[in-house]
Amino acid sequence: MVEILEESTGKDGRRVLKVAKENLVQLMKELKSHGFVHLSLITGIDRKDRLEVVYHLQNLEKNEYIAVKTETLDERVPSVTSVFTSANWDEREQYDLMGIVFEGHPNLKRLFLPESWVGHPLRKNYDISKVQYINMDENGEDYATFDPGDGW
Amino acid sequence: MMGPRISNPDENGWVELNMGPQHPSTHGVLRLKVKLDGEIVREVEPVIGYLHRNAEKICELDYYCDSMIYFDRMDYVGAMNMEVGYLEAAEKLLGIPPPERVQWIRVVMAELSRVASHLVWAGAFGLDLGMLTPFFYCFVEREKILRIFVEACGSRQETNYMSIGGVYQDFNDKLIHDILEFTEQFPKKLEDIFNAYVKNDIFISRTKGIGILEPEVALDYGVTGPMLRASGVDYDVRKAEPYLVYDKINFDIPVSHKKDNLARFLVRFEEMRQSIKIINQAVKKIPDGPYFNPKAKKSLMIRLRGEGEVYARTESSKGEFGVYLVGDGGVKPYRVRVRSPSLKNLSVLPYLAKDQMIADMVAISGTTDLVFGEVDR
Repeated sequence: MVEILEESTGKDGRRVLKVAKENLVQLMKELKSHGFVHLSLITGIDRKDRLEVVYHLQNLEKNEYIAVKTETLDERVPSVTSVFTSANWDEREQYDLMGIVFEGHPNLKRLFLPESWVGHPLRKNYDISKVQYINMDENGEDYATFDPGDGW
Repeated sequence: MMGPRISNPDENGWVELNMGPQHPSTHGVLRLKVKLDGEIVREVEPVIGYLHRNAEKICELDYYCDSMIYFDRMDYVGAMNMEVGYLEAAEKLLGIPPPERVQWIRVVMAELSRVASHLVWAGAFGLDLGMLTPFFYCFVEREKILRIFVEACGSRQETNYMSIGGVYQDFNDKLIHDILEFTEQFPKKLEDIFNAYVKNDIFISRTKGIGILEPEVALDYGVTGPMLRASGVDYDVRKAEPYLVYDKINFDIPVSHKKDNLARFLVRFEEMRQSIKIINQAVKKIPDGPYFNPKAKKSLMIRLRGEGEVYARTESSKGEFGVYLVGDGGVKPYRVRVRSPSLKNLSVLPYLAKDQMIADMVAISGTTDLVFGEVDR
């Protein structure tokens, strides 16, 4: 069994397990073998000094619910796509908007924004006053630019 | 200048075709990069983000009560369900439970919204398959629901009807009369629409046995809602984790084991019948009492403070809609995260459309019931 750093109950009455990021994939595998087959949501939270990633899992047969938390100081977290296919787009979204790099992800590209977008909008230190414009290049692919005169 | 729409064949003889983002059968702004071998689809890559507004960031910059309008604009054809989903999380975080009367009112409105959303889906799905007539019948019925919304709150689609701890205006006798009038005549109209589809041979041959989604695959991809239930998994948040007063109402969850396009169509129509059953029960049971929690009067609304973390899930018309709220004790949320069911349902499209005809890919993407306000957020 994987070492659990901390176990608590959230405000919504759900069990929260906290693990070190090295043990994350192992814990996910164990939970999946215990019937937690439905990965509902992956959330990245910017705590300013560190990044937190929360996984919400559900056991459909026993109707049990669990949240798994892990933390990272260097923006890197192991990917759980090898355990849950549904993590694929969730992790891409969190990489896109929060800037968390999921190591071992098969196709870690931005999901919503063009690849040339600068910064990750959901970070607390992201400057929303700097406007970026999206334009289309000759091959029909989107790109982001700071220059409002570029095609606008 | 736009590049060529169809590329030259590669070494396999496949050509790359770009569908969308402006295309009548992509239900908004979905762009599909398709690799075609003749008329057979070999690879699909959905490209999304054309309607991206980053609602999560906007909600972080606003008071708890202001976020409501951004949730309305996520699933804009079933906006009441989005409001219920957000309020389930926000009310738990802020500690403001809605009164009993409000909970029953919300059930009525959420179910009306579900019927409206499924009617839009049914009409648009017909259009995907080249059937124009049922579309008009669907929209006539939907219009009646929107009239009820106008009567309740003055708005048709982005209703902004519910607020933290209550609803903006109370139900009156005329509204209840209108709703009962609608539910009385609707079942017959629904059967007419249903027959217009299932008695059409072309419709049956376009849907039956096409787009088979095995339950294990559906669970692995995080598919929820009518799509998952059409694959034979009996999972509905209204039964699994009842919110509002769904545990006091008698209704069934339709499940089909056929797993194909037709099964998803039948499950959605049966859901509409069950929704009418729910509305009929709930309207008659609305108790007397206040229609908002006095702790959340309009003048106090922007001073509400929340601390802690809450994840609340509800069953929207598309599937499991989750809202994860993190509060740091301030008047604005620290982090808002939305689980949009359409996004997860779309992620299974490359799997389903592989090695199908291109016309069938359109039918399959039709049955996933995509709304791009919600996919892109």
